Amino acid sequence: MSTEGRSAEPVRRLVGTMGRLVVFFWSISLLLIAPPNWIPLAVGTWLGVAVLLHPAALRVPFRRRWILLFGFLIVANIFWVGELDWNLWGLAVSSEGLLIGLQMVLRAVVVLVAVEGFSNSVDIAEVAGLLERFGLEGLGFSMGVAVNLLPFLRQSSLNAWRSLRMKGGLRRQRWRGLRLLLVNIIGNALCRADEVVLSAEARAFSPDRSRIIPLEIGAFDWLILTVGLSSLLALILVR
Amino acid sequence: MKFSTRELVTLGVFGALWGAVELSFGSILHVMKVPMAGVILTAIGLAIAMIGRLFVCRPGATLFIGLIAALLKLFSLGGVVIWPLLGIVIEALLAEVVLSALRKPSQGAFTMAGAVGVLWTFVHPFVMHGLIMGSGILTVWLRTLDQGSQVLGIDPSAVLWLILALIGLRLGIGAAAGLLAWSVGRSVYARLGRPER
Repeated sequence: MSTEGRSAEPVRRLVGTMGRLVVFFWSISLLLIAPPNWIPLAVGTWLGVAVLLHPAALRVPFRRRWILLFGFLIVANIFWVGELDWNLWGLAVSSEGLLIGLQMVLRAVVVLVAVEGFSNSVDIAEVAGLLERFGLEGLGFSMGVAVNLLPFLRQSSLNAWRSLRMKGGLRRQRWRGLRLLLVNIIGNALCRADEVVLSAEARAFSPDRSRIIPLEIGAFDWLILTVGLSSLLALILVR
Repeated sequence: MKFSTRELVTLGVFGALWGAVELSFGSILHVMKVPMAGVILTAIGLAIAMIGRLFVCRPGATLFIGLIAALLKLFSLGGVVIWPLLGIVIEALLAEVVLSALRKPSQGAFTMAGAVGVLWTFVHPFVMHGLIMGSGILTVWLRTLDQGSQVLGIDPSAVLWLILALIGLRLGIGAAAGLLAWSVGRSVYARLGRPER
């Protein structure tokens, strides 16, 4: 069992799938609703909840690639957003850009930890089961396909774009070139979809036979739902 | 809405395409502060959703694709995503209503669905920012006129012409997206060796 699994075990009995889902959406909604000057307070509140529920997920933002991305976000904002009204070691930078960059980083950290913590503690099949309960049969499966296809689509689109440019496809008849690019990207994606269908059917997957997965309900789930909704409502009214 | 495995995968593919456009191209357009970025993104997204409708020709398919794209938008790292997210769902819903009402996919149905879907980008700020976020309808109205006059070069005092031009531009872009979707969708059909619609 992982460290996350051991540390989360006593909490798991108290907080079920519904509670974790509420915390996940609460984390993201909190950042979406909070006005920019409230972001530090919102992040502080959220941090307390994250320490309790997903302590291991808090390590994720400290990975090298994320630190690089955050650094890039801040650098890009301090030079290109707002007026250059500040002097930092001889370089003209924007204080407004710095603030916007920091807000973006804080938002990114919360989204990262919320997604990591949620996906570590809740089985994706349970999420799919939850979505199916709202009448959107198969949405969970389609979402899974979509998320897994994103890297393929990125690579395939890049390849199509590069080959079009290398063949000079955009020098003349640009409109036709772009149309062909679209046809190429969609055609490739649909060919990939055929493989996914074959793979799913080979595993005997069928939306008709998929049963609704029972949800784990923790002792504190309703309390979390009430507190989460009330805090968001209060924030909407106060802002 | 009950789809087969093949249909669900196809919807997932088109949802991912729309989501990828929002996540990559959308971020670039917003960072570069391109005027009417929302209109361009909506037109591309709806075109993708309508091509998807050609492959899964059943009621609810366009909305389903929009829902997947909206959920993918949640993974967007920077900025506030809840209003664009709601926008995607409403635009997909509007296109869905038109396509379902006209039943058989046709060039005309696609053109109309695209135009109606993209037209929402005009109403969206009034509903979301003006009513829900509390900025006030008047503030949004003045901002719309100001942005419109900057983009179109029309004097802000010619309010009626400015508004008509803004609406007309959106209808035109949406209709063009519908036509593009119809043309590209049929080409993909032919390329994959499936019978033409």
